[in-house]
Amino acid sequence: MTLQYSETIFEHFRHPRNFGALPAPEVAYEAVNALCGDRIRMELNVSADQTITAVRFRGDSCIISRAAASILTELIQGQMLQEVIKLPQEVLLTALHTNIRPARMKCALLPLHILQTGLAVYLRS
Amino acid sequence: MWVGEGGEIFGAVTIGGCVDAYVIEQAETVLSTQMPRLIELPLGDEDAWELGLSCAGIIEVFIEPLSAAHSPPFDLYTALKSHLDRGGSGALMTCLDGATMGAKLLLFDNGRTLGSLGDAALDQAVCTAVLFDLAQGLSRTLSFALPHMTVRVFVEVHTPPATLIIVGASHMAMLLVQLARPIGFHTIVVDSRPRFATPERFPATDTLLVGIPSEIVESLPLSSSTAVILVAHDYKYDLPILRHVLSSSVGYIGVLGSRRRGEGLRQFLREEGVTEEALRRIRVPIGLDLGGRSAPEIALAILAEVVATRYGGSHLPLSQVRQDRV
Repeated sequence: MTLQYSETIFEHFRHPRNFGALPAPEVAYEAVNALCGDRIRMELNVSADQTITAVRFRGDSCIISRAAASILTELIQGQMLQEVIKLPQEVLLTALHTNIRPARMKCALLPLHILQTGLAVYLRS
Repeated sequence: MWVGEGGEIFGAVTIGGCVDAYVIEQAETVLSTQMPRLIELPLGDEDAWELGLSCAGIIEVFIEPLSAAHSPPFDLYTALKSHLDRGGSGALMTCLDGATMGAKLLLFDNGRTLGSLGDAALDQAVCTAVLFDLAQGLSRTLSFALPHMTVRVFVEVHTPPATLIIVGASHMAMLLVQLARPIGFHTIVVDSRPRFATPERFPATDTLLVGIPSEIVESLPLSSSTAVILVAHDYKYDLPILRHVLSSSVGYIGVLGSRRRGEGLRQFLREEGVTEEALRRIRVPIGLDLGGRSAPEIALAILAEVVATRYGGSHLPLSQVRQDRV
């Protein structure tokens, strides 16, 4: 059987980047895929000029979701909040180096959904 | 067994109840006299003995009066329950002979004591002898030689209930909780999905926890009397939780799934450096081979394996187990 996932996905699943927790995050948001049970928490430190200075994620999630979260943390490190909140889905999907089937699209985009929802809550407050 | 002055009965002395009627009669006498007594009873009625159909043997039953209003034993039972509720264990010792028959000494697992058997030297000797029983969860009667007589002491060991942690609020988890409660397990159900882990689906569970399952399990106390059963059938829970529980002294680790899936999990953990000795602790497929196929039958097979593992059972039918093991 041919594996459908890219080396990138396997690598990030086995060795996730920025996995863990921040001691005092300005932004912290957790959500779950109600049916499959993927649950991820994203935490960010944000500087006074609205730059993301540190990011961590943790949770129990599938290979695609975990790899996507790991890749996402690398994509947003050092970025401005206003840019990250508008980050197009395609940027993350391209970075996965795999054609994600429609049935797994929720898995791939869950980390981005959590991140952008958390940022929206933070900016509103 | 508890017998109330109004005739209420809670529990039983024997599994078949063949001597219980007599014990209840005697308990009523003890209640009226407020004096403890030790009675000796053959197992089975006269007809059964005549026909050779009795289980055979003689049991001793100690009956004591207990009153919430003015009763030192009541205070000891209360202290013991409070300690058990905090996760501790304790041994309640009762003197069965002599002038101090019925005197009690309570020994906690932290070494603290309450009460007395009526003799300081006896208290000391009993506590020293019972520490092993406490660690093993073993209740028994011990004999101690005093200057003028030999005294028997009944040692009643109480440990916190065994805990069953079920990861995955599935239909199988619902059945496991239903079966585990009457066996005496403290049940904890863990899932990340609030839609599945609901009080409506798990009305009988002691604790229902929703969040990141691996973090929840890491926050729970794990001991040799804890069984962890992974029924989510999902590697995203299985892998991080197995990593954690394999480094603990948890008494039973089971994963719902096929032999092939189990080997896949083991291989993944093996590549991360988990030792073969640790990997052998994972039971997958889970449960004893009872032959059943339905979900309730599988739940029964799982709990049968958990119980057999807890008590070091042979996993064989009792009818085939050598007599010296029974």
